[in-house]
Amino acid sequence: MDLLLALTIIAGLYMAWNIGANDAANSMATSYGSKALTLKQIVIVASILEFCGAVFFGKNVTHTIAKGIVPIDILDEHLVALGALAALLSAGFWITLATYYQLPISTSHSIVGAMLGFGLAAVSQNYLHISDIHWNVMGKIVLSWIISPIFGALLAFLIFTLIRMFILAKFEIDRVEHIFKYLQVGTACYVAFAHGSNDVANATGPIAAALGYMGQQMPVWVLLIGGLGISIGIATWGYRVIEMVGTKITELTPTRGFSAEFATATTVLLASYFGMPISTTHTLVGSVIGVGLAGGLASVNLKIVRRIIASWLLTVPVAAGLAIAIYTVMVIFL
Amino acid sequence: MKFVRSVTDVFGYSPFGALKQHAELCGKAIGLLQKQFEAYRRGEFDKVEKFREKIDELEYKADLIKEEIRTNLTRSLLLPVDRHDLLHFLEVQDEIINYCEHVGHMVTFRCVKAPENIWREFDILLAKIMETVNKYEELVDHISRLIASSFTKKEVEDAMYHVKEVEELEHECDLIQIGLYTLLFNAEGMDPLDIHLMVTWVSHLGEIANYTARAADRFRIMVLGRG
Repeated sequence: MDLLLALTIIAGLYMAWNIGANDAANSMATSYGSKALTLKQIVIVASILEFCGAVFFGKNVTHTIAKGIVPIDILDEHLVALGALAALLSAGFWITLATYYQLPISTSHSIVGAMLGFGLAAVSQNYLHISDIHWNVMGKIVLSWIISPIFGALLAFLIFTLIRMFILAKFEIDRVEHIFKYLQVGTACYVAFAHGSNDVANATGPIAAALGYMGQQMPVWVLLIGGLGISIGIATWGYRVIEMVGTKITELTPTRGFSAEFATATTVLLASYFGMPISTTHTLVGSVIGVGLAGGLASVNLKIVRRIIASWLLTVPVAAGLAIAIYTVMVIFL
Repeated sequence: MKFVRSVTDVFGYSPFGALKQHAELCGKAIGLLQKQFEAYRRGEFDKVEKFREKIDELEYKADLIKEEIRTNLTRSLLLPVDRHDLLHFLEVQDEIINYCEHVGHMVTFRCVKAPENIWREFDILLAKIMETVNKYEELVDHISRLIASSFTKKEVEDAMYHVKEVEELEHECDLIQIGLYTLLFNAEGMDPLDIHLMVTWVSHLGEIANYTARAADRFRIMVLGRG
């Protein structure tokens, strides 16, 4: 059991590392692109804020992933530990594979799919009845995946339109952009905090489940581990992603970056409050489209919407399928 | 870079830089046309031929840019202006350099003898066309500020003022053209074939100015027709 828990923590750390390396980096990249901060400053600021978001605000989503989908309290502790490990391994594997092929998948969707897979495997072994799985929560989660990018788009559209009407129309463009360069540092931090609060659960949810986390209280060290993993991810790999993405999204000038980031962070933080594990990246994409719809960008490629929807349809079954397979193998051998 | 999931895919192909480049090529082609006429008057026909080649090259480059824009401007792009308006604008702008090429060729057909006053009028016409196209290039330059400000009222008004300026210059070209036609059709002692060719030059040079004004108009339609 201790070995199992250690493995789960390692797998959770890998998951957190992934989240820091890719998603956190994406959300902070605009500040690098606009040269508001240096790479070193971004890495430090992002690590701290992701960590704070995870530790202070990561509880609700962790709760949803740990016991919101699969009713772990009515299952055997050992099975839950196996299931949590299987979910982390399958999600981790899928994320690594999809990242290699540069598919715009979400870590949140992967872990939700994987936890569902664990639940279904338990059903197939008659430990659970199919109706024991919290389908209503699952439905809410899926709904939040659809709502969050749309909400981000609406909010970003609104914010950018206000900036356009009241600021860009009245003042010198270059001066406005210069001022927003610094304001954007604030929104980038806001995104980092919100991202930490939501995505940390992808790593900590299964760990919390494996700990046999029954009541409302969860040891703080679980969130600390998640936050630490994300920070390490940013520092060891994320800076390269920040560099690459930052140089490519110069189109997102400070006023646009501010609008998109503010909308994304607000949406993600709201989702964290409601305990909904959503994708920060997809919300950011939605927000950028919102700025584009407000006439703020030279060109937005709407093909990405199709790719994101495809990634939704692909991620949940694949992550669930992998979790079922890994869990079944583990039940036989462990 | 492998092992990176990035959000950069959300940014699509932007045609505006290429549009500006295309307009710049039009301006360069007219500059060469002016030089070609000067060489013609001095009787340096090998140079005239060289300038024709250079103008051809510019036209070819412009065609490549046009193709690039048309290939990449798919319907899945969300642009701040209407896609059809933009393509139509490009089509008209492309005619500017096409007519430069036509004139560049027509100059090489025959060695024309004409009185000095007619040549002087050609100089004036070419200079006015150059002025028109330079103004036009400035107009197209507005696109980056329009996008940066996301088409605020002030920037749109500035651009629209520029459209009018181009149209006024085109009108001045028209007047010079009319004067040249009158001179040519009343030229005593000129070879009728020379007159015919020079008249063709005038009408084709006129088309350069016409298409410049029409492109400016398409620019206006594109900018005002947003939303």
